[in-house]
Amino acid sequence: MIKTKNAKQLVACQQCDALYDTPILKQGQSAKCTRCGSILAERKVDSIERSFYWSLAGIMLSAPAILLPLMGVTLVGQYHHASLLDCILALIDRGFFMIATLVFLFTLAVPVVRLLGAFYITYSFKFNRLKPSLLHFFRAFHYLDNWAMLNVFMLGIVVSMYKLLDDTELSINMGLLAFILWLICSTMASSTLDQDYIWQELENEFVD
Amino acid sequence: MSIKTAQGSGLALCPKCHKLNNIRQCSGKNVRLQCIRCHGLFYPRKPYSLQYTLAWNFAALIAFIPANIYPIMILYSMGIGEPNTILSGIGEFIDLGLYPIAVIIFTASIIVPLIKIIGLFLLVYRVHTGVRLRPDKHSKFYHALEFLGPWSMLDVFVVALLVAVVELGFITSVAAGPAINYFTLTVIFTMIAANSFDPRLLWDKKQGCENAKEENDY
Repeated sequence: MIKTKNAKQLVACQQCDALYDTPILKQGQSAKCTRCGSILAERKVDSIERSFYWSLAGIMLSAPAILLPLMGVTLVGQYHHASLLDCILALIDRGFFMIATLVFLFTLAVPVVRLLGAFYITYSFKFNRLKPSLLHFFRAFHYLDNWAMLNVFMLGIVVSMYKLLDDTELSINMGLLAFILWLICSTMASSTLDQDYIWQELENEFVD
Repeated sequence: MSIKTAQGSGLALCPKCHKLNNIRQCSGKNVRLQCIRCHGLFYPRKPYSLQYTLAWNFAALIAFIPANIYPIMILYSMGIGEPNTILSGIGEFIDLGLYPIAVIIFTASIIVPLIKIIGLFLLVYRVHTGVRLRPDKHSKFYHALEFLGPWSMLDVFVVALLVAVVELGFITSVAAGPAINYFTLTVIFTMIAANSFDPRLLWDKKQGCENAKEENDY
C-alpha cells in the first residue's frame, strides 16, 4: 500500500475513482475530473439561503399542485376534470394497485419528502440547530435522488393534452399553473442544495 | 502513465457522503466498510455489479415483450371498447399528423428502453472482456443512459392522466390495459440495472489491461 497523506486533504472522483488533492473553491466554482470530466467538487452560491426559500415555496405549493384539478374535458355537454390525486385514485379504483403505488411514489411522495427534507436541513443550518441525527437524515435523503419524476409527469400532461385536443373540448385549470410552479420549486430546491458543503460542515461539527 | 486511484492508494469513497475512508489492510479486496462520516455501510466497488446489472437487464427484456403485445389503453366510446397497444397508439398520432408527439412517445417508450437494455449489455460485455474499452466514451454513454431512464415513464403517466380525466360515463371513458404493468416493470428494472452498474469498473479494467501490457513490454 502506498503511503498517503491524511485522507481529509484528498478527494476522489465518484465516477472513475481518480484521486486528487482537495481543490480550494470559491462560491460558484466547480472542479472537474481530468480523466472522465465529471464534476469532482463544487461550491454553490449562497446554497443554504436559496435552497431554504425554494423548498419553503415548494412546500406551500405542493397542496394546490396535488389537489387542484390539472385539466378538464367537455364532450356533449358533460364536463369532467382531474387532479394529480385523482389520477392515483382512478388507478386504485380500476384495480391497478402497482401502477397507482408507483405513480404515487414518483410524482407525489418522493417530491414532497425531498422538499421537506431539504427544508429541514437548510432550516437547521440557517438557524444553527445542528444535531448529530442530521448525519443519518442527510444520508437517507440521498436514497431518493433518482426517483422524483415531476418533469416526466409534466411532459405526460403535455402529451395527453395533445391526445385530448383532437376530439374533445379541453380546459386548463389552476392546478396546472400550481403544478408547473411546484415543479420549478422542487427542481431549484434540489439543484441549489450544496451537498459537499453540508457534509463538510456536519463533519466539522460531529465527527471528531 | 496511470492516474492514481483511491482504490490503488488504500482509500475508498463513500457513495453517499463522498468521504474518503481508509481500507483496513488486513481485510480482503472488496469488503464492507463503515463510513467514518455518515456511518453508512458501503463497499469500495459495488459487489457483483456486472452480475446484478445483467440479471436486472434480462428481467427488463422479458417484461418488455408482454408490454408490447397486450393493449396499454382501452378507449370506450358509446360502450364499444377499442384496445390500443403502445405501437398502435403511436400509429394513431401519425394518422392524425401529430408527428412531434409521435416522435416523443416513440422515443420514450420504445427507443429509450431498448437502447438502455442493449447499451447495458454492451457495457457489461466490454467491462468483462476489456476488448476495445474506451472508458471516457463509455462512461459518458453510461451517464446518458442513467439520465434517460425516468423519461420512459412518460407513457405510464399519460395513461394515468387519461384514465382520470376522460371519465364521461357511457359517452367516452378510458381504461388502462394489462401492458401498463409490464411496461412499468421494464422501466423500473432498467433503472435498477443502470443503478447497479459501477462506472468505476470501466477505468479499473482499462488500467488493469494497461498494467498487464507494460509488464509484458519489459
